[in-house]
Amino acid sequence: MTVTLALPSKGRMKDDAIALCARAGLTVTSVGNDRSYRGRVEERDDIEVAFLSASEIARELGSGGVDFGITGEDLVRETIADAERKIEICTRLGFGEADVVVAVPDIWLDVETMADLGDVAADFRHRHRRRLSIATKYWRLTREFFSAEHGIQLYRIVESLGATEGAPAAGQADIIVDITTTGSTLKANHLRVLNDGVILRSRACLVRSRSGGGAGASVDFIRQRFADAV
Amino acid sequence: MPLLNLPDFTGDLLQDFAGRRTELVTIPVIQPADPFLDMAGEDLRRRIFTTESETGEALCLRPEFTIPVCMGHIEANSGTPRRYAYCGEVFRQRRSGASEFYQAGIEDLGDDDIAAADARAVSDALSIVAKLLPGSAFTVTLGDQTVFEAVLSALGLPDGWKRRLIGAFGDQAKLGALMNDLTKGAPDDEKDARSRPDLEDRAALEDRIAGIMEETGYSTNASRTPQDIAGRLIEKARLAQARLDGKAFAVLAEFLQIDIALADAPSALAGFADAAGLDLRPALAAFDHRVAALANQNADLSAMHYRAAFGRPLDYYTGLVFEISAADAVLAGGGRYDRMMTLLGASRSIPAVGFSLWLDRIGTLRGSRQ
Repeated sequence: MTVTLALPSKGRMKDDAIALCARAGLTVTSVGNDRSYRGRVEERDDIEVAFLSASEIARELGSGGVDFGITGEDLVRETIADAERKIEICTRLGFGEADVVVAVPDIWLDVETMADLGDVAADFRHRHRRRLSIATKYWRLTREFFSAEHGIQLYRIVESLGATEGAPAAGQADIIVDITTTGSTLKANHLRVLNDGVILRSRACLVRSRSGGGAGASVDFIRQRFADAV
Repeated sequence: MPLLNLPDFTGDLLQDFAGRRTELVTIPVIQPADPFLDMAGEDLRRRIFTTESETGEALCLRPEFTIPVCMGHIEANSGTPRRYAYCGEVFRQRRSGASEFYQAGIEDLGDDDIAAADARAVSDALSIVAKLLPGSAFTVTLGDQTVFEAVLSALGLPDGWKRRLIGAFGDQAKLGALMNDLTKGAPDDEKDARSRPDLEDRAALEDRIAGIMEETGYSTNASRTPQDIAGRLIEKARLAQARLDGKAFAVLAEFLQIDIALADAPSALAGFADAAGLDLRPALAAFDHRVAALANQNADLSAMHYRAAFGRPLDYYTGLVFEISAADAVLAGGGRYDRMMTLLGASRSIPAVGFSLWLDRIGTLRGSRQ
């Protein structure tokens, strides 16, 4: 029985993931040419490698299309409903650091906490004849954080698939929920993270899909090697 | 009236509605999703069935009738007063149990006699379920957000607190937590996290905020204005020093405990106001009028009780809320939602009150008695 390990197909995340695999003693090579989306691990015919985009990896883990994957925790929690039941985070890896945060225009001097934001949201419709709008690609994380954790119901999500930081200045939304690593992009766009506005401190993770076999020598091998490598 | 699998008593029900001077409206099953999400918030998305039109418009299966009935009224530019009735299936996602069920109800729009319209909604709902379930004992619970708001005002609580407390009215756990927070005052990190601008000179503060917005490219958008920000900043600084004092806390807690037969509620509330030294006169007068109107309409007051903490934490509910139950099942729920019509785009304020009946639960009870 073979197991499939999904790795990010491009960018920094791909390089970091392959370097980590090497440290774990898994030498990953592409099948065919460099651009191929399939790979293998030298001397381990029981492991197939699939190169996918980071968000596709999260989706495939949720549906059981791959057994293991390396991807950001933010994407796992955002993409997979009922994540705890469907996947297991085996190891948090030392790269891909990104915080999912709630950021407001810096000039909102009166808004420092989620409680402040709750007050503003409650009053927003009355003042502006529309609900407070949040630009984000993180629908699920935003809803869980606002509704379940902070009891804020009165807002609307405006989907934003890129350059989310620009949405408030452009008038497309009032505030954003987005990832940030250094905070410099937020700063450049005159946005500020709320004091209690960190939704998730995300890292790249080795994730196992629970719908796969689960047991077996190959599964134990991968799990152990990555745990040792970190 | 053998219509699909509508409950077998639907025919009688529609006849009853007609007898109550209502016009029956048909509401399409597929609705634009935005009005529901705007009203209830983004979290509703988990609980409705959404889809998209070919052009990308967000659509949903109707999760309830009140919003589409009101929108239909606004679109048709109909005059008021108007009494609409509806009957049909609604669709909501739930973790367990069926996700489609039947509801019917009446929405009463534009009747300026608030007490009489409130009383009619309660007595209509009660007499309809009583007719469908003859011989059953019902519990009718009434709540009134106006009275709660009057208590907050009479206690002299600042606007910022009042808005927070009103937003949590009906959610006992949240309201209790909020009251506890207010006795402690604002947490320290809110007090001196930033170097505070000078709040004495409001005009200068607004100018400064406007200046920064101009520089940073935020001046042209339709979001919060310098006035909004300055106003709330000043209010917040004031609240940071304030505490909900022990006496006010005790009065609020005592009020929220009130649960009493409706017939006794007017004197109990008057007694409470006297003892606490609060002037609640306009709100209590309206409350008493409603009780009198119910008596006038020969509603069975003995089945009704008033629970001070009963409300719905949705910002379009304004006054009366009520629920009718039997054998631990809620069979009807309703209330006054004076703020909804303008939120939905009506050009003038239109008072509105209504209720809806859970036909499947009524059907189950009928079945279990045969």
